[in-house]
Amino acid sequence: MADACKYITLVSSDGYEFVVLRDAALVSPTIKGMLRSQFTEAQTGRCTFPEFSGVVLEKVAEYFHYWHRNRDREDVPDMEIPVELCLVLVQAADYFNLDARPSLRDPA
Amino acid sequence: MNKEASEFEPCWDILRGALTDIHNKNASQLSFENLYRASYKIVLRKKGQLLYERVKAFEEEWFRVHVLPRIAELVSGNLVSIVLLQMQGPSAHERREMGERFLRGIRSTWEDHNTSMNMIADILMYLERTYTAESKQPSIFAATIGLFRDHILRNSLGSAAEQLGRPFIVFDIVNAVLLDLINMERDGDIIDRNLVRQVTSMLEDLYETDEEFENMKLYLTVFEPLFLKASEVFYRNECEKLLREANASTWLRHTQRRLREEQDRCGTSLSILTTENITHVVEQELIVAKLDDFLAMEGSGMKSMIDNDRHEDLSILYQLISRVDKSKNALKTVLQTRVMELGLDIEQTLKHTDFSAPLAGAAEADDAAEGAEKSKAQPLSAAAQQTAAAIKWVDDVLQLKDKFDDLSTICFGQDLVLQSAVTKSFSEFINLFSRSSEFVSLFIDDSLKRGLKGKSDEDVEIVLQKAIVLLRYLVDRDMFERYYQKHLARRLLHNKSEMHIEKELVRRMRSEMGNHFTAKFEGMFKDMELSKDLAGNYRDHIRNLGDEDTRKIELGIHVLTSNNWPPEVMGRNPAQEGGGRVDCVFPPTIKRLQESFFKYYLKDRSGRILTWVGSAGSADIQCSFPKVPGKGTGPMSKERRYELNVSTYGMIVLMLFNDLPEGESLNFEEIQAKTSIPAQELVRTLGSISIPPRSRVLAKEPLSKNVRATDRFSFNAQFVSKTIKIKAPVISSTSKVEGDDERRETERKNDQTRAHVVDAAIVRIMNVIGVRAGGRGGQ
Repeated sequence: MADACKYITLVSSDGYEFVVLRDAALVSPTIKGMLRSQFTEAQTGRCTFPEFSGVVLEKVAEYFHYWHRNRDREDVPDMEIPVELCLVLVQAADYFNLDARPSLRDPA
Repeated sequence: MNKEASEFEPCWDILRGALTDIHNKNASQLSFENLYRASYKIVLRKKGQLLYERVKAFEEEWFRVHVLPRIAELVSGNLVSIVLLQMQGPSAHERREMGERFLRGIRSTWEDHNTSMNMIADILMYLERTYTAESKQPSIFAATIGLFRDHILRNSLGSAAEQLGRPFIVFDIVNAVLLDLINMERDGDIIDRNLVRQVTSMLEDLYETDEEFENMKLYLTVFEPLFLKASEVFYRNECEKLLREANASTWLRHTQRRLREEQDRCGTSLSILTTENITHVVEQELIVAKLDDFLAMEGSGMKSMIDNDRHEDLSILYQLISRVDKSKNALKTVLQTRVMELGLDIEQTLKHTDFSAPLAGAAEADDAAEGAEKSKAQPLSAAAQQTAAAIKWVDDVLQLKDKFDDLSTICFGQDLVLQSAVTKSFSEFINLFSRSSEFVSLFIDDSLKRGLKGKSDEDVEIVLQKAIVLLRYLVDRDMFERYYQKHLARRLLHNKSEMHIEKELVRRMRSEMGNHFTAKFEGMFKDMELSKDLAGNYRDHIRNLGDEDTRKIELGIHVLTSNNWPPEVMGRNPAQEGGGRVDCVFPPTIKRLQESFFKYYLKDRSGRILTWVGSAGSADIQCSFPKVPGKGTGPMSKERRYELNVSTYGMIVLMLFNDLPEGESLNFEEIQAKTSIPAQELVRTLGSISIPPRSRVLAKEPLSKNVRATDRFSFNAQFVSKTIKIKAPVISSTSKVEGDDERRETERKNDQTRAHVVDAAIVRIMNVIGVRAGGRGGQ
């Protein structure tokens, strides 16, 4: 099964593909839900996001790894965000449920 | 607005299709992202409420159309009447099959529902996280999962209920089947534990309301109380049955097994949340309810467990009782009673033994001790018998103690509460026995005197240990002190035991009872040591003087401080108080020696008085028996030299015969007149050297077993002994049980001492009060 695979692929609206660490991507409850049931994404390990362009998805993927790398550290430097991407990234954060509120039903 | 509404319907259509697919297990064709985006859009368009309601309505509809018919099928009329009315129907096997089939149906419905609801909640994640959280409604998951409770468990299934004649819901059947299965398993059937576990965990996942309060799980609010109630009934019946049909030993094991089973059951079939509660039910019903009845069971109850050393039974019993009662009162009471009974048995046995084995010619048990005074020389006199009784008593007590120590270690985990209870009972029965102080001292006396020669350190250690153990129990310690002092004095003066062991024992007594208790004993040891030096120095002194006595008398002397030593030893026997103390007449040679020593003694210590105590010492005498004319062969044909060890009085008496012409004799009164030895002592002394064949250096006329005032004594020229060294039995060193009179005397003296102590204490208290009052007056 794709479950066992260490990496998953994120696909943007304009066809760019980003291979990210599964554990890193799971910071997003949206992706977590996507991968835990029996939907297509869970079986193929490919998640397509028609709402987001490659530029945005790249930043999202970068954030996943940024979070994964620094999750146990303190005094972490801020991630660099280009000003022109700010608005769309806020949207993406909302979509990916990255608002740091723990999901009500997240299994411990 | 219109645009927004028009966007809702297409999105909802996508979602509705997906919900159907999910229920039909066709989700693998669906894209999560697609569905998520649909619900995401709806929520962004502020249609969250509408979506929430649509989903809920969809699920209710789904239940009504697809799920309920399946459930109704499961609930056959038969099942209802059998399970809910407990109608006598098919065999247990069929009943189990039927119940399990029903539960399986419930389980698979639940599993489907649960999986679907999880997936749907995942799709609606954005709704859950934004809209539901803000609108303070139950989450969509809670609302939809709760449908199972409202539409299935709480469904009354109209037609079936009419059949029954009273209202019921599906939940009732679930509970009844679960309890029925559990009871079957308790009776030894094999049931599908996994199934039971899955159904109960379903109950754990469901809550009374959609708010999902942690303590409102259906498992806790509905099932557990029913389960506990049913278990109570089950175990109450079982306990009564055990009481009727089984014995305590079976009961113990059964209860232990049941407790284990119930704990296992909570782990494997129910929930660990119940472990504590069900354990409590079993404890109450199987242990507490009939505890006393089981403990009192004839032949298998606690009495028999103790008597027959059934360690395993007692261990289990201890574990069980510890569960229900931290102070273990039931166990404590029975233990204490049993200790008392067995302790008093020892006393009874003792009496019985005395009566059953009387020695031929010995007096009856009552005045055995007095009789012993006169029949000293008998091989096993009544006194010796009494001593044996004392030792038997001590041995029995120690054995009993060992027994209960074993119980404590093996069965009761050295429980302090029980240990102290048992110790209390021991102390109680030991002190009920009026002679315990004396017997304990006698036991020590006997062990130290006889037993320790050639024994290993471990054996010595055991004896010391025993002595201290017994000592701890004694309440009348002053009585013991009195007896011990007397016995110790005899041992020391007659060199009967090994000094280092004596000292070790006293050292332990001191650490056990304090300095005050052993002060006299230590004083006695000190006297012994000083005396040894003194005797040595004196010997050197004499040798330096150069005028050694021609008779070569070696003087071994014990200078005793009168306070430390018992009055009897110091020659102040109250029995003779009336006549005052009479000094016996020492032979001139001895007299000279005494004066010489006294002079030497006073050189360093002026103002002291030495009193010679004839009754306490002993003497080694070299004596020669001339060859007997007319005997050509055998030992009597040559001169024989023997070394004779006698008491001081014996020596004085024998010296008389030194000066007596051959063939002449002295009678008792003559001897008494010449020596002024007290009559009683003289009887003993003469008895020891004229009655036992091994030390019969004086011939007595007539030859009888007792010494009478009219008897005549002469030098026994025919005396023969196989050994060179002969020891005349020294009567006074045989510690024996006191006669009734003696004991009364001892008690009287003891009471006197106590009176002084009490007086002193009163005066002290008065002084304290007086000082306070005075202080206040001064203010």
